[in-house]
Amino acid sequence: MADDPFFVGWQDNVPKLSRRKVLLAGAGLALGAGALGLGLGNQAPAPGPGVWDQGRKLAMTGTIYPEPYLHLLTEDLGGGPRPVFLVGQGKDRITVRPALTFTGAAVTGTMIERGEHAMMAVDDIYADPAPGRVMPGPETDLGEVVMTGEILDAKCWFGAMRPGHGKTHKACASLCARGGLPLAFCETGRCGEGKAALLFLDARGRAFGPEIIPLVADPVIIRGRIFEVAGLRQVRVALGDVVRL
Amino acid sequence: MAASFSLVGWNRFKRSYDFALILGVALFFAAHLAAGFLGAPAGQAPSELQVVIRASGAAAFSLLTFILCIGPMARLTPRALPLLYNRRHLGVTCFLIALVHAALVLLWYHGFSQVNAFISLLTSNPRYGSFGGFPFESLGLAALLILFVMAATSHDFWNAVLGPRLWKALHMGVYAAYGLLVAHVMLGAAQGETGLAQAALAGGSALLVAGLHIAAGRREAARDAAETEPADGWLNAGLAADIADGRAVIVVPPEGERIAVFRDGAKVYAVANACRHQGGPLGEGRILDGCIVCPWHGFQYRPEDGCSPPPFTEKIQTYRTRITGGRVFVEAAPQPPGTAIAPSLIEEAG
Repeated sequence: MADDPFFVGWQDNVPKLSRRKVLLAGAGLALGAGALGLGLGNQAPAPGPGVWDQGRKLAMTGTIYPEPYLHLLTEDLGGGPRPVFLVGQGKDRITVRPALTFTGAAVTGTMIERGEHAMMAVDDIYADPAPGRVMPGPETDLGEVVMTGEILDAKCWFGAMRPGHGKTHKACASLCARGGLPLAFCETGRCGEGKAALLFLDARGRAFGPEIIPLVADPVIIRGRIFEVAGLRQVRVALGDVVRL
Repeated sequence: MAASFSLVGWNRFKRSYDFALILGVALFFAAHLAAGFLGAPAGQAPSELQVVIRASGAAAFSLLTFILCIGPMARLTPRALPLLYNRRHLGVTCFLIALVHAALVLLWYHGFSQVNAFISLLTSNPRYGSFGGFPFESLGLAALLILFVMAATSHDFWNAVLGPRLWKALHMGVYAAYGLLVAHVMLGAAQGETGLAQAALAGGSALLVAGLHIAAGRREAARDAAETEPADGWLNAGLAADIADGRAVIVVPPEGERIAVFRDGAKVYAVANACRHQGGPLGEGRILDGCIVCPWHGFQYRPEDGCSPPPFTEKIQTYRTRITGGRVFVEAAPQPPGTAIAPSLIEEAG
């Protein structure tokens, strides 16, 4: 009979040498798995400075505008009127009674912020005459631009998801676009930055409809014009000037 | 073996094996999550759920890669055989981790909307005609379904019900699942990142698995190249004295299955080389306590008739042998499984 150890798994009398080797191998493999996890986890891309603090409720006053996306124009953030987009807790738009628009209103909820961009997941909206009507001021045409990048849903990119861009996020971005949430555009390589996104609108400065959904989260090249309204930059693009790469 | 079915036939080795498995999975997750959270730049914390999604996807893929390496490693060195013995526990664990990954993806990326999450999963990206834009989620879903079928039928109960051939064919689906998962990673996570970690993980792993299989295949091919031409229907298995006691040499006939020629003291037997359980190479096993023991999962067969000892019921083909001039000859034509054949005695050679 050959005297070299022969492993038989169902036998409890595994040869001693074999048992030591098996234990060493098991420990080595487990530690190797840990090292692999460490290496892969360390390679995760930085999501950027977006944040959604769902534990911190805020109240903000200003004027609600329904176009191009529902937003509160407020001076509560300092530095003049700034838009705070108003969304729900999920991936669908919220509606506001017309009586609450174009007049003083207060909004409560949690802030989703990324750099200078702000959005509120709304708990409640009610009339508040105190702020009066906050006006956006004139829009500034900053000229034509050609850019490559990605159409994002602003809620996720502002901080609801971190990271909230790229192909793995396409399904979510499609749902948000279908739900009528604000869209933004970030240039290739700058999606992780805080100031990189532009509000993405059609050539007439209105929100896109469902026709834009197939292009969301894909690499695209766009030709459009940049405008600045109430401190927020918009890129206005005709659908035909959005070309998938 | 097949006399009765218990959910898991626990023994000390299996418990140690599963302990190492759980420890490995726990360490992988702990390290991945810690690196994901602590390694992020200040003020750029990733979403907790997305870190878990990423970790579970990487864990399932890495574990499946490891599982697929075990087979060829066991062909290349018997030191890897202990890994193979309890491999199905790895497979079931892999499926469960993949299920967690899929469930969290469904909740996070496809939930919180008026659109049904399953409809979103299959329709949110309709670019099936594009390579770069291909909806990688459907590849992952297809792989998960295959892994589910394999996990659900991994118990020996299903091996007995379906029969070894069908069971084996069904479980070869793991290669299709792995291919789908490589594409799932390459067309998904790897595309969305500027770093190469995901691409390196998927591509490197696929190369490793392919390389090991090629190496094992070349070794098998080299062995098969030494196939024995029968003379009058008998195959030359070499000198009886060259067969180590309790072990076998493998003879490759021009047609049909390989044959394992065992020596047990002065007796020489020949049986089919493929174990009835999962096709393990019996000729690389040993004779212990009078039975041939498969090196993969320890299935036993009596060398004289190819039957598993009672109460087990498996049977393999047996072959007639003779010894002439110190050389062992095996009849190329097999006898029906379970046919008793008297051994050739080495003393007869003199």
